[in-house]
Amino acid sequence: MSTPVALRPAATGLARIGPEEIGILADFSHAFAASLDVGETLRRAVVQIAEHMNAEAAAVFLLDPVEGDIVCRACAGPVDVVGLRVQQGRGIVGRAIAENRVQMVRDTSCDPDYIGDQRGFHTRSILCAPLDTAEGAIGALQVLNKRDGALFDNHDANVLRLLAVPTALALNNSRLTRELVEQNRIKREFQLARQMQKTLLPARRRDYPVTALNLPAREISGDFYDYFELPDGRIAFCVGDVAGKGMDAALLMVRASSCLRWVGKDGTPPGDWLAKVNRELCETVTRGMFVCAVAGYYDPRTSMLEIANAGFPPLLLRRADESMRELQADGPPLGILDQISYASQRLALAGGSLYAFSDGVTDVRDGERRPIGVEGVRALIDRVSGLSPRARVRAIVGHLRKMSLADDTTLMLIADDAAPSRYLGGLAGSSDPENLRLVRRKVAELVLELGFDEDQRQRIVLAVDEAVANVIRHAYGGCCDGRVELSAWLDTDAVRFELRDYAQPVDPNRIRPRDLSECRPGGLGVNLIDTVMDRWQFRHPEEGAGNLLTMIKRLP
Amino acid sequence: MSDVNDCATEEVQGIRLVRVRGEVDLSWSQQLRKSILAALNGGRPVAVDLSQVTYIDSSGIAALVEGFQNARGKSQRFSLVAVSKPVHAVLELARLDRVFPIFATLEDAAK
Repeated sequence: MSTPVALRPAATGLARIGPEEIGILADFSHAFAASLDVGETLRRAVVQIAEHMNAEAAAVFLLDPVEGDIVCRACAGPVDVVGLRVQQGRGIVGRAIAENRVQMVRDTSCDPDYIGDQRGFHTRSILCAPLDTAEGAIGALQVLNKRDGALFDNHDANVLRLLAVPTALALNNSRLTRELVEQNRIKREFQLARQMQKTLLPARRRDYPVTALNLPAREISGDFYDYFELPDGRIAFCVGDVAGKGMDAALLMVRASSCLRWVGKDGTPPGDWLAKVNRELCETVTRGMFVCAVAGYYDPRTSMLEIANAGFPPLLLRRADESMRELQADGPPLGILDQISYASQRLALAGGSLYAFSDGVTDVRDGERRPIGVEGVRALIDRVSGLSPRARVRAIVGHLRKMSLADDTTLMLIADDAAPSRYLGGLAGSSDPENLRLVRRKVAELVLELGFDEDQRQRIVLAVDEAVANVIRHAYGGCCDGRVELSAWLDTDAVRFELRDYAQPVDPNRIRPRDLSECRPGGLGVNLIDTVMDRWQFRHPEEGAGNLLTMIKRLP
Repeated sequence: MSDVNDCATEEVQGIRLVRVRGEVDLSWSQQLRKSILAALNGGRPVAVDLSQVTYIDSSGIAALVEGFQNARGKSQRFSLVAVSKPVHAVLELARLDRVFPIFATLEDAAK
């Protein structure tokens, strides 16, 4: 590094900040504000500081939060000390940072904190100003040995303090920017991990005996569930809860769920199924981590259940006669002891339902901040008993959400009463407005015996008619020879209309109700559908071209 | 017979009266729209008699809204008369039942 050349005589004895200081301050602030590379600006800044302060050397020291010490980040002078490390609190620089005050040492040999000369450079005097931020000092600006044997004075101390301000500001900004970038990166990674985890959960199936829901406490979850059909017609299912809820739990969740799926594919009896997974996890899992799980099979033809429970909260069986039974765990969690056997239990669902829930459910706090426990879950199950299985799971989770959720929350329901939907009827024809009358007659006939009163029936007829008219007008653009298919289905608690066309796909985002407060013709159809139906969804069908509108109206 | 869709305009008590009957849907709501806009020509008060309408969809409602807005732009009177129950139900659903001047009889509309 070149020896700085003094551009101006030392301003000793000046008691105030003059125009030159204001000039260099402006240059400094501007250089930092305009710079994208703080490191480079810092290197140039120390050279300027040394020159301006008429010092033999200048340096910037910063706290290193990783190493827990202080490190030289930039320097100017005959000896390069970049990378030099000083323990926190040690040396004059350590003292400046610790006390967050300017240090002026006129004779280093008289200061006990002086560490000693570095790399052959003899330090006679030191002036050191902390780089102060809202979170305290993050480092210090240091100048050594005033040229020509002069001594640093109070004016120098003020000037150095002044120069420390934009330097601290720039360093702090750059640190915050780095942290923000890092935080965003981590956030993105977690989102990706969550998406990845979601793909491990089975797709929701309509009118299926098994329904489940998982609410992660954070981005990622330590809970999981799975279900799949065996070639013999039985449904294999499992629910699990990995201890902890961080990234380690999420990774173990991936391992545990794939192990469970792999073994369950063989139709191994539930007790042996869990024992096998337990041995596998014991071999590989980090000490102190474990997995609570339930695994079993359900045969929808006979309503027979076969289950085993490894440390999972008790399962609740709600029978058709509304009585309730708790099925306790019959072994410890997976991944703790390798020679454990688990017992399989057999029972008939016989019109009843089986509820499995992770401890995130029982740990939910009520109004008095007490965990609701198994009792609380039983009460919730009783409350929602009249609903369809899917609606029950959603209603329970809805109630839980109103209280305070702290842990990953997973709920699985196996229900014998998930009656498949019944086809009520339908019609197909061309996209001719003249056919609307037929559509209305058909819909009126289809909903006649479902318990709706006359007003409700008229509204349903109107909504379906509007939907068909929209297809004719918008999807087919008024062209009369497009194909339109309408079918009606009776689900457990609702009538469902499916309206299919084969027109150019319409962007589902464009189909939304408009603001009714503005009075204008047109665009009312979707509003009417939205008002009359409990739910509707417009999407592109899984197979083939065109559009599919599903409209659902709950039975009275 | 309710199968017949029809709209006809006549002059009654200084009012242009558009009588509509049948089921107003996309298949002929354009006809209703044209009749209403034609009746508005000439500056007389216009009333639409909906007593014989057994069904109306949003395209029919849109024709009424357009007539109403057209009349208002010219400070012309526009009202609905003898609104049948099915029509009223749809006006309510669309929250338009308080937008239109609605009268039980033509005499009320003429006052």
